[in-house]
Amino acid sequence: MDADAISERLRRITAPDVLNEWELEEQAATVAALPEPLQDEVLRHYQAIWPVSHGLAALFLHHLPQALTCLAPEQLGDWTKAALAAYEQHGLRGADLFLAETEKNFLCRLRGESALPFAAALPRLRPYVHALAGPLHDLDLAPATSAATDTATLFLPREIGLFKEERQNFLLYKLLASLLWAQVASGTYRWAPAPTADLIQEVAARYGSRPDEGLPALIAYFRLFPQPALAEELFVLTETVRLLALLQRELPGLMRDAAALFPLLLAQRPPFPEASDQASVMEQLKRHLIGETKVGDANNPAPPALAAAGELLLPLARAGTTPADTAHAAARLYEIIAALPGPYQATPPLPCAISFRPAEALAVRTRRQHEEKTRFITALAALLPSAASPETGETGEDRPPPAARHQEADTALLLPGLAETEIPRPTVLLGQGLETVTIDNQSLALPPELQRLGQRIAADLGQVPPEYVAAAAGLAGSSYHPHASSPITEEIVIPPTPLTYDEWDFRRNGFRKDWCLLHEKEILPTKGTFIETVSRKHRGLLLRLRRQFEMMRPGERFVRRQRDGNDLDLDAIIEALADTQAGQAPSDRLFVRLRRDQRQIAVVFLVDMSSSTEGWVSTAIKESLFLMCESLAVLGDTYAVYGFSGMRRLRSELYHVKHLDEPYNDLVKAKIAAIAPQEYTRMGPPLRHITRLLTASDAKARLIVTLSDGKPEDYDDYKGEYAIEDTRHALIEAKNLGIHPFCITIDQQAHDYIAHMYGEVNYIVIDDVRSLPNRMPEIYRTLTG
Amino acid sequence: MEYAEQKIEEHRITSQPFYLPQGDEVVIARAAYRNRLPLLLKGPTGCGKSRFMQYLAWELARPLITVSCHDDLSTGDLVGRFLIKGGEAVWVDGPLTLAVKAGAICYLDEVVEARKDTTVVIHPLADDRRELPIEKLGELLLAPPEFMLAVSYNPGYQSVLKDLKQSTRQRFVALEFRYPAAAVEEEIVQTEAGVDRELAHTLVKLAAMTRNLKDAGLTEGASTRLLIHAGRLMTDGIPPRQACQVAITEPLTDDHEMLAALDEMVRSLF
Ligand SMILES: Nc1ncnc2c1ncn2[C@@H]1O[C@H](COP(=O)(O)OP(=O)(O)O)[C@@H](O)[C@H]1O
Ligand SMILES: [Mg+2]
Repeated sequence: MDADAISERLRRITAPDVLNEWELEEQAATVAALPEPLQDEVLRHYQAIWPVSHGLAALFLHHLPQALTCLAPEQLGDWTKAALAAYEQHGLRGADLFLAETEKNFLCRLRGESALPFAAALPRLRPYVHALAGPLHDLDLAPATSAATDTATLFLPREIGLFKEERQNFLLYKLLASLLWAQVASGTYRWAPAPTADLIQEVAARYGSRPDEGLPALIAYFRLFPQPALAEELFVLTETVRLLALLQRELPGLMRDAAALFPLLLAQRPPFPEASDQASVMEQLKRHLIGETKVGDANNPAPPALAAAGELLLPLARAGTTPADTAHAAARLYEIIAALPGPYQATPPLPCAISFRPAEALAVRTRRQHEEKTRFITALAALLPSAASPETGETGEDRPPPAARHQEADTALLLPGLAETEIPRPTVLLGQGLETVTIDNQSLALPPELQRLGQRIAADLGQVPPEYVAAAAGLAGSSYHPHASSPITEEIVIPPTPLTYDEWDFRRNGFRKDWCLLHEKEILPTKGTFIETVSRKHRGLLLRLRRQFEMMRPGERFVRRQRDGNDLDLDAIIEALADTQAGQAPSDRLFVRLRRDQRQIAVVFLVDMSSSTEGWVSTAIKESLFLMCESLAVLGDTYAVYGFSGMRRLRSELYHVKHLDEPYNDLVKAKIAAIAPQEYTRMGPPLRHITRLLTASDAKARLIVTLSDGKPEDYDDYKGEYAIEDTRHALIEAKNLGIHPFCITIDQQAHDYIAHMYGEVNYIVIDDVRSLPNRMPEIYRTLTG
Repeated sequence: MEYAEQKIEEHRITSQPFYLPQGDEVVIARAAYRNRLPLLLKGPTGCGKSRFMQYLAWELARPLITVSCHDDLSTGDLVGRFLIKGGEAVWVDGPLTLAVKAGAICYLDEVVEARKDTTVVIHPLADDRRELPIEKLGELLLAPPEFMLAVSYNPGYQSVLKDLKQSTRQRFVALEFRYPAAAVEEEIVQTEAGVDRELAHTLVKLAAMTRNLKDAGLTEGASTRLLIHAGRLMTDGIPPRQACQVAITEPLTDDHEMLAALDEMVRSLF
């Protein structure tokens, strides 16, 4: 492009503002001096900066030539972003400083002179790990001092800065995460040999020790050896060999990339001249792991122990090995090393090595097994036909007489009674693939969530234990009775005009009539700086959203085949002519008319204000709501915003932020800013209330969008299966009235239950709460596009 | 008439399409055909619905007329209209009418995309009346036993404004298509893309990983179709990582972080 063409582009970008002629010329000259392929990109960045700050746009061009002397062209985008960030934080002056000292402020970072922090790797790593692990393992990621896992969380170093390039540092993160995944998937922590197992007996006999059954299996195993620390180190080393080989088979690309890191790691590793023979062989083994091939030389031949150790490790690289093979090999290695002159000194761990947390893993496993057991049993029980129970007298239970009404403790009705032994139990059998359950010879398909849960349990325990199934059958066969002697635990104050709503009890397959009281409450608007801060923080996003939503605005469009209109419809006329020729009565719809479509959408955003949303979540939800409202202001859809929380069935609370017919204004904004976590999450009453509100609307499409961070749960027994089933039922009631529910949740565990509540396609799980402000408007666009 | 015959011949499938069944769909479709029941194919995009229809048409030796639905599709587009030819008005059958007359299979792909007032014309064809009124001609066509109607739709994440009405859906025998089981999908990819077993295996593994992210960052995982595209590019000499990038990850999403994460999966596998 020549300077004139560039001037013209600049003029268009800056319109309707007008730059000084000389300023324009200078800027155009700057761009024109750039290599042709860069010009377009620079203009695009300029265009992005212009609406943010005209001054910054000028500075950007001013500093650009200098910056380009040390900036690779592909870094230009990041550089621009960093400049915008500097502007956000420190204003124009700060941005000026940043731009002026590019070499110091920017490049050095990307050149790897400082480390890659965990948080920077997370956005790429998290989906990577989820994709790798699949539905069988829910793996979370968290920063820690070293790489390890307790099978629920993958702990990764707080930062990695061993390499110069960001890509290399990230690669090490990825390798560690993959190794930890492999550890979880291949069940290192599930290895739990009986004290009578041959290996245990053999090792115990050799060292005159006794297995301690009170300890996690791995720790007990290490303690069988005279030097548990050496045993542990050997076990970890051996297991790493096995897991790396597993990765080599499963993720060959990763290992190919990682192989390029190993020589660098090797070069960084300091020598240990003073080491004892024991330590020196250990060190050699570690170096082997990262590709050291040089084993001794003519003067200094490799010790025979090393060769023997190498022989031992080799078979672990084969497919089909298990942690038990590792334990065997580690015991043999221990013999070899312990025979050498000591003392044993620990050498630094390899940067690509993981450490073990057997005790925590055991705790996680115990907790998970318990949780999964309870969930499986209750979910399965809900599927089974419940035996007719003589206990369930209906007298006064569903609707207590008014006097007794408020005396009853909330928890009372939901406790399962003791199983009645005389009630005949159905025989229940789980199908092989966990896809069906057979009850008294009748086969029933298991819902996908339950299948998944069953598969997880089977992956953990080898099978779904028969006693789970028996317990479910028992639970289904038993009745539930009120706990007559429950103490009154709460004084209940009844506010002026609460609304009553029914609640669904899945176990009796019926409603508890007028079971909940819903109180409508106002949020006190706050004056703070929240809105201002968010507008500033998301300035770019806001601009983009406004543009995107503007495009969705039902533009004017021509509708064809009208009785009258702005213009003739040629197609219709030709067709009418043809019809006339054919002896048909021609249509009189021969015009096109310009029409402005109505979107006719009414949507209610229902925001979970339970205490669990405290902190990040609450902020992200508020930011998203604000961005959503701003976007909707452009689009013109009718919408309302309510929050909900409360405690117990008699105090369910609905907080008003904006009614459907209320205009969006500063008061609404101030209320959004004031949204704050309250108490619990009883989903039924607010959903039923919103449903009632929406049925009164005559919009063509009516939606409820809930924003939540977890399962429905109240202080009383409104939890687990009961809460999920009530919520599900409330949603079904809404669907039956033609209302579409949709849920946006940030609960990573949500896949287990949410499809059951909302239906397969009516929800989305947000991986990273920080992306919520970005995602929510996008989701809304897709939903209503 | 001659013209129509010639046209219908174009829709005959003369050689056996490659199709690996996912389950009992072929058996059920045959039974539906014998009993003159219309088919509703549900499933994500690229999982074999169209290919299944081609196979079925071949097996039943019927012509297959496919209509891709869109929101501008009018009743006239389906049924037919008068055109002026040489000063005379000539009636030209639409694809649906053509299929009914020829006893063909008419497949309306992505039927939810069509406007609701258009979808109603299939109602009398889709129940036991099996008739197609042609208002312009004042005719009522009765479908011969050979005629079959099939529609497809993707129940996945989509606009609430586009949903199949109960009055429409409750006329069909519904077959649910999912992504094929890993072993089957490998064979499909191998055959269709001409890649070896190992490469097909890795591609299917990649697909499984992306499918784990459905509703957690991705609207949908990679379909069989995308795997085949990537495989074909590889067969043509494009390096595997790049082939996956252009044929799988980029088509799946525009989100930069998600793209970066998908790219990491590709780099781990290939
Ligand atoms: N079961 C199958 N047997 C053979 N090929 C299949 C099968 N499923 C998918 N394919 C391949 O995947 C491609 C995409 O499938 P297609 O039928 O076009 O998907 P859909 O119509 O469901 O969107 C097909 O062209 C075919 O190559
Ligand atoms: Mg298709």
